[in-house]
Amino acid sequence: MAGGGSGDGEEPEFQIAPMIDVLLVLLIFFMSSITKQVARVDKSITLPVAHNASKRDNARDESIINVRWDQAKKHAAFVFEDKTYERLDPIVPVLAQLQSATKKHRLVIRGDRLVPAEQISLAMAAAASAGIADITFAASPR
Amino acid sequence: MSRHHRRRHSAEAGSDLGFQIAPMIDVVFVVLVFFMSLTAAIKVEAELNTKLPGSATTSAAVDFPDEQTIGIDAAGQVLLNDAPFDGPDDSELPSLTDTLKRLKENAVNARTTLLVTISSDPKAPYFRTIDVLNVLAAAAIDNVTFTVDDGF
Repeated sequence: MAGGGSGDGEEPEFQIAPMIDVLLVLLIFFMSSITKQVARVDKSITLPVAHNASKRDNARDESIINVRWDQAKKHAAFVFEDKTYERLDPIVPVLAQLQSATKKHRLVIRGDRLVPAEQISLAMAAAASAGIADITFAASPR
Repeated sequence: MSRHHRRRHSAEAGSDLGFQIAPMIDVVFVVLVFFMSLTAAIKVEAELNTKLPGSATTSAAVDFPDEQTIGIDAAGQVLLNDAPFDGPDDSELPSLTDTLKRLKENAVNARTTLLVTISSDPKAPYFRTIDVLNVLAAAAIDNVTFTVDDGF
């Protein structure tokens, strides 16, 4: 590492300030990247448990539809790319565009365990309308 | 370097400060605690894959698959070809698992494709669908599809 020598024969010192500077830059980098990863999933959803589910393949090109369920109000809502939707009509063109861009695109449905099956069926119907046949259900392994 | 800075530097030259490890460890621990807390927030998820039915144009002969239908009623009762299996609160579905494993073995022996179609009541809880998919994964049945309504 380069020292802070001024060329006048003095011993070069270890500069701690730039080291902390670099550490803080790294910290901000990891903060932004991890926050983005965490933000893709909806923590308000309690996933159903499936012991035999396979490990999540994060390498694939995918879209995620979160299906929230308010048990008190008996109301479902769809969350796609950080926006909440009551109906899935506006999502279909976006999904169709993603499907045409990459043919191996898949849709991940993250539904709350108590949501009625008809809401999941609506998400699958939206995927079918967009031409996506590859559907994946997110589940908790335990 | 300014004259003022040089004077101060020469005054400090007598005392050897050396490498300050304490603040460095301090910062590293803060970073470590931050990532530890974030890692705890990330939940591990698994996946159950399926393919929606579609249309295909073919000129060759098509082998019709051995199709089984699994229904889920509003109370969560699972039915295989209209026959009830296990209780509505039984998440493991042992009888259905055994039956599906036998069907899979028969299909492998007969060299046919076993296709399972899941048809849920609109009001059935979603976790029952996942219970059924979990059983199908245990029976190594890959060809799973759903009945999907047209409107959304």
